[in-house]
Amino acid sequence: MTVTVPTDRARSAAPVRWQPASARAQFAVLTGRSLRGLVADRRLVVLTLVQPLILLVIFSQVFGSMASPDHFPAGVSYIDYLMPAILVTSGITSAVGSGAELIRDMDNGVLTRFRSLPVGLHWILVARAVTDVLRTTAQTVLLLVCAALCFGFDPAGGAWGVIAALALSLLVIASLTWVFIAVGTWVRSARIMQSVSGLALFPLMFASSAYVPLDALPAWLRAVAVVNPVSYAVDATRALALDWPLGGDVLGAVATSLLILAVAVWAAVAGFRRPLTR
Amino acid sequence: MAEPMISTRDLTKSYDKVHALRGVSLDVAEGTVLGLLGHNGAGKTTLVNILATLLPPSGGSAAVAGHDVLRDSRAVRGCIGLTGQFASVDEKLSGFDNLVLIGRLLGASARQARERADELLDTFDLAGAARRLCRTYSGGMRRRLDLAASLVGRPRVIFLDEPSTGLDPASRLSLWETVEALVADGTTVLLTTQYLEEAERLADIVAVLAEGSVVAAGTPTELKSQVGERRAQLSTTRRGDTVKVAEALRRAGFAAVQTPEEGTVSVPVADFEDFAQVVRAVEEAAVPVTGLTLSEPSLDDVYLSLAAKPVAAAAR
Ligand SMILES: Nc1ncnc2c1ncn2[C@@H]1O[C@H](COP(=O)(O)OP(=O)(O)OP(=O)(O)O)[C@@H](O)[C@H]1O
Ligand SMILES: [Mg+2]
Repeated sequence: MTVTVPTDRARSAAPVRWQPASARAQFAVLTGRSLRGLVADRRLVVLTLVQPLILLVIFSQVFGSMASPDHFPAGVSYIDYLMPAILVTSGITSAVGSGAELIRDMDNGVLTRFRSLPVGLHWILVARAVTDVLRTTAQTVLLLVCAALCFGFDPAGGAWGVIAALALSLLVIASLTWVFIAVGTWVRSARIMQSVSGLALFPLMFASSAYVPLDALPAWLRAVAVVNPVSYAVDATRALALDWPLGGDVLGAVATSLLILAVAVWAAVAGFRRPLTR
Repeated sequence: MAEPMISTRDLTKSYDKVHALRGVSLDVAEGTVLGLLGHNGAGKTTLVNILATLLPPSGGSAAVAGHDVLRDSRAVRGCIGLTGQFASVDEKLSGFDNLVLIGRLLGASARQARERADELLDTFDLAGAARRLCRTYSGGMRRRLDLAASLVGRPRVIFLDEPSTGLDPASRLSLWETVEALVADGTTVLLTTQYLEEAERLADIVAVLAEGSVVAAGTPTELKSQVGERRAQLSTTRRGDTVKVAEALRRAGFAAVQTPEEGTVSVPVADFEDFAQVVRAVEEAAVPVTGLTLSEPSLDDVYLSLAAKPVAAAAR
């Protein structure tokens, strides 16, 4: 059956309408929105900033006292050894949270609204990623300042070495952030996302060269740690900060991160394009 | 006829095992309102979501303002406003900021977006709560903000999926007035509803959806004359009296139906002449009649007779 509504009431009144927002405007507006969401709750801001500091205190005090000196490179204090690793691993928590945040937006319907607007869907994801990387940047800068002031962090690489290490760790975090955003766009369920994150978080952080040298690990765990991208990232960050010979570490870490980034961005956009089912 | 603003042809949508739409064809002209009625699960939301480019159809075609929903989805989204069945506001922002955000995404300058937001907050009676986070809004306030959000860009086509669910009577009335004003300005509206009163008041054409197909369509008046009939209802206080009244009416040639438990008799009346005859017949019978009401057929009757759920499907 064809339903036809008559045309008798059409008017010519044409209210002023706006031109669609440019890509840059969409990006700016959406990122602004995510950032406001980030700082909306003061308590959360404080917790976010304090969290890596706690990691720093615990690791430097607990593991610092236990770490057997045999495995550690001579002449490097544990805090100098640890800091580059904390730079990378503290960002992992926030990268994992990125996917969860995206799903929260799906669940409360905001994304349905955005999807009915003439907005490039990818900008929603880019805004999310940029926001979370900015958060990580704030966390790690604060972390570095505290480590230098309170824990005597003073690596051989000097200021430039630390800045290079920071930049590299942010690149790694950006690529991991996109990995979890991609997972989020495919699983689309807060509970599954939480389980996936929980499953991924600890192996990523600990089955790596982050906290102890690879030699100190049992063989099977070492095998896992060698293929863990976090190991590359930590080794390279450490080499930059501690002014160790770079070898292929930095290049390898940059290349791996860029590769992961490219694949994850592609997967995330593809996953996000699938229709929302609610 | 001018090009319709909303047009679908043999539109189908299947989920794994469910056929949510089984070939829906409709045309809605600019500046008119199509009211879509249907029981739970009839496919109303599915149809709206396909037209709003949130869901791809499984078969058939659909176009809004001349843009195909699959090939030109961006252009479609540029001229529609959607109020979905489920609220879609950002809980972490205030009502004002929500509307400004949407204005900015639609290309307004910061100032234009703020002005438009204030305007809409006034229209929907939310000015007092404009600066509060939406998390603290009541259900009805959220719904109104959602409606406002779908109007920010002054869209040419508006989809309202059960817009008055959860609104109090005053808000519902003000929603209706807003919709009427929009339509007077040439906006095209597709509205789904469970409230027959709402379809009757707002819609130029009502389509009844059942199990994914349009089973009836027409102006509210047409549909009513198809199904319902005007009836006169007479009430008496004593049981025996209903029988006497019914008999008198049958003698006068009316198909009277008596409901002794309620003490009422009801007869179809086509016109004023019929009505006068009913009164005369009752007068002659000399039985005390305590009440006489005339009831117009309602969309309820349309809805019940056409979209009545088959018994087997009711268990779903
Ligand atoms: N994601 C989905 N997966 C499977 N089936 C679905 C999905 N979404 C909807 N359906 C089914 O499609 C049919 C139509 O659903 P729809 O939401 O369009 O109904 P509706 O008319 O809007 O109902 P209501 O009045 O309850 O809102 C229902 O049988 C529903 O169960
Ligand atoms: Mg529905």
